[in-house]
Amino acid sequence: MTLRYDQVSYSYPGTSTGVFDIALEIGRGELLAIIGASGSGKSTILKLLAGFLKPDTGRILIDGKDVGASLPEARRLGVVFQNYALFPHMRLWENIAYPLKVRGIAKQERRARAIEMLGRVGMGKRAEDYPAELSGGQQQRVALARALVFEPQGLLLDEPLSALDAGLRLEMRDEILRVQRQAGIATLLVTHDQEEALSIADKVVMMRDGRIVQIGTPRELYETPADASVAAFVGQSNLWPGSISGDGMVTTPVGALACDTQGKSIGAKVTVFVRPERVEPITGPVDASNPCCFAGSMSADRYLGPVRRIDMAVAGGAIRLETHLRGPITGVTIPHDAIRLLPPTS
Amino acid sequence: MSARVPTSMLAAFAVPGSVVLGLFFLIPVCAVLVGAFADSGSAFGRLAGDPVFWNGLRGTMVLGTVAPLFSLVVGFCVALALARFAPGLRTAALIAISLPLTFSGLIVAYGFILLLGRAGFVTLLLAKLGFDPAVIGGFIFSPVGLGLAYSYYLVPRVVLIVLPAISNFDRNQMLASRSLGAGSFRTLTEVMLPQILPSLIAAYCLTAAVAVGAYGTALALAGTQVNILPLVLYSKISETGTDLPAASAASIVLVAICAVVVSIGEAMRPQRKS
Amino acid sequence: MPFVAIAYLIFLAAPVLLLFVGSFGEVWSGTLLPSGFTWRWYQEVAGDPSFRRAFTTSLKIVATTCILNILIGLPLAYAIHAGARGGVRLAARIVTLMPIAVPELVLAFGFILVFSSDALPWLGSFWLLAAGHLVLTLPYTVTALVADMDQLGLAEYEHAAATLGASFPARMWDVTLPQLHTSLLSCMLTVAALSIGEFQLSNLVSGFLSRTYPVVLLQAFYGATGFACAATVVLLGLAMIASLTSGLTARVTGRRKVGAGA
Repeated sequence: MTLRYDQVSYSYPGTSTGVFDIALEIGRGELLAIIGASGSGKSTILKLLAGFLKPDTGRILIDGKDVGASLPEARRLGVVFQNYALFPHMRLWENIAYPLKVRGIAKQERRARAIEMLGRVGMGKRAEDYPAELSGGQQQRVALARALVFEPQGLLLDEPLSALDAGLRLEMRDEILRVQRQAGIATLLVTHDQEEALSIADKVVMMRDGRIVQIGTPRELYETPADASVAAFVGQSNLWPGSISGDGMVTTPVGALACDTQGKSIGAKVTVFVRPERVEPITGPVDASNPCCFAGSMSADRYLGPVRRIDMAVAGGAIRLETHLRGPITGVTIPHDAIRLLPPTS
Repeated sequence: MSARVPTSMLAAFAVPGSVVLGLFFLIPVCAVLVGAFADSGSAFGRLAGDPVFWNGLRGTMVLGTVAPLFSLVVGFCVALALARFAPGLRTAALIAISLPLTFSGLIVAYGFILLLGRAGFVTLLLAKLGFDPAVIGGFIFSPVGLGLAYSYYLVPRVVLIVLPAISNFDRNQMLASRSLGAGSFRTLTEVMLPQILPSLIAAYCLTAAVAVGAYGTALALAGTQVNILPLVLYSKISETGTDLPAASAASIVLVAICAVVVSIGEAMRPQRKS
Repeated sequence: MPFVAIAYLIFLAAPVLLLFVGSFGEVWSGTLLPSGFTWRWYQEVAGDPSFRRAFTTSLKIVATTCILNILIGLPLAYAIHAGARGGVRLAARIVTLMPIAVPELVLAFGFILVFSSDALPWLGSFWLLAAGHLVLTLPYTVTALVADMDQLGLAEYEHAAATLGASFPARMWDVTLPQLHTSLLSCMLTVAALSIGEFQLSNLVSGFLSRTYPVVLLQAFYGATGFACAATVVLLGLAMIASLTSGLTARVTGRRKVGAGA
């Protein structure tokens, strides 16, 4: 069963904000994450699929059928809300059995299935409790169970971990992935946390101003971002404005760099992008004749545990690097294959 | 979101309420307004020439200033004290304080006759100390004395409006002010008061409007002897063969005062955060 | 400040205490407190035919007002809550302010003008009185229920129920109404308290045979002190029971909300 957006556009009544020309497909068992800053339209995409909003143009297809006109209750999609939206007046098993109840399943059977589902998320002993008696993480598990118990055609997760503490967030991230894999269900995850998206998604969609900027695997987004905004949103980066000064050479404020210029013409404007962990530290004397070597001094040295994140002040700017080396750094080398050229930022 | 409820359903939900309010509120009120202009506005002239009306208006102005002001001062102090109570005790005290809100004005009236009337408890007590019982006993039947009786159910309204503002007020600001060297009185007047001023004004306006418009307590206390506008109007309405256009004109004056005061209060009302 | 609070509590309690004391006093005339103890005044109130009839009328009016408030006020409150657009909210706010801006006395005058006409000769009837009480209490019901609905965050629960497959009627019945029932109960008890004590409209609008308790009570003030006290205490007692129960119900609701937030 697949979920598909076919050139979907929606704008909020009376405004120019919304989402535009969205084309996406989520395959069976696939987990697709949408990331972006707040206001980028990522939640709107989820609301369109859930049926809370109706697209202005384009089609939304579930398992090949256009569901644009059908109400949320007819779409058979499990949604986990940001604050879980567990019904406070129902016991846990009643919460989970609710979708079965509205489908007319007999009380005995729905109770049995609800309790079995609770067991699958590790909450089997709490069936008679009320939601208010649970911690955030436990409510999260119950919400997940409720969204899956009626064997929906897709699973929609709206910022599911944002209400949890940092430690619990890591645990629940793995739990969501485990349950999702077990159910083998097409899943849409909306999050502002790029690390969360990269760590569990099969595919990541980056949104900006209501439009898709890039779709790719986590690795593609991280290593070959489409532009400077993606590079800046996903992980740490060095981004310098530059221009092509010759075949295989680019000029930047920090100096000239050798890299693959992909046949760009001389004088073309680019953004030069280097991940900090690809910058190599030098601890001894610096060979200034090498065009990729820069002598400098440490202007900031942050100890992060596994790595140090260092800003090197060099002539003309700063270079950020990450290293596990201890001790003073006197300069850096930027290998030519660590450099990517992105479109210039206007 | 549109998917939550069909719009037609919402409209249908609002229909019975709108019909009731239209038929039993808007139409009667409009009838009063139209009635005032029935004889091409001459009713206002007759009203303006009636000394009873002017006496009543003066009394209402006194009552409408004194009663809310007194209630505001008392209510503010009570709210300050309540804000320091433990939550459980505060809720209990709040329930007790809110009781008069639903009391009939008659209960208050008779209670005050027993307390401050010509043979009232306090009147006789003060008489033993040498005060003139005629003066003390007459107080409650004056507009100012009436204001005291009104404050019985006006103070709770003040407390209910002002208490949330005081409770939500960031206590650290008071501590910060004290640590910067301001005394507790200066802290109260210069740090807290300016910030809860909108609530105080809103409370004042609401209670003023209630004090101006009410007649039940006054009628029960003193018949139509007290000179306040609602009782002037009440006499006009309840007497047969009365000048109805003039009564309508007096109604318009009364509604105008209340509406202006309520509008000022509404304009000052602290916006909800959500 | 504590001094003012204590003085205020005494001020609050004094008239009520005097009413209680007076209602059991044999004789009370020109003395600080009454002398003697008697149940006589309550028996007289209970035996008085016009008080008995007024009492019954008041209970019927209260019951009718509460039921109409639920039938009419609940859907209206929901429409305002779910409609939630700026204009709807503004209109609702104006509706809730109208009873303060337009005194009951003026409304009663309007009733006399409109409903004593040949076209609508309803003045003095039970149903017109009930309609008057409804109009006076409806703004309270709507304000209280809309505030509770907003605070409960019903929209998210209803969206959740929709994604689980529940239709609009099922969502109302299974999710929305069960979450509202305590606030509805608390609200109705307050409406009952307001309705039972209502005097300013009823005094001018009720017919001679459908006079409510407070209207008849006013006549008692000109008679014996003990009788007036006892008759007032009856009204006081009813209002207190309704308000206290309402306050306690609201408190239970509040506690549940706090629990849910933790």
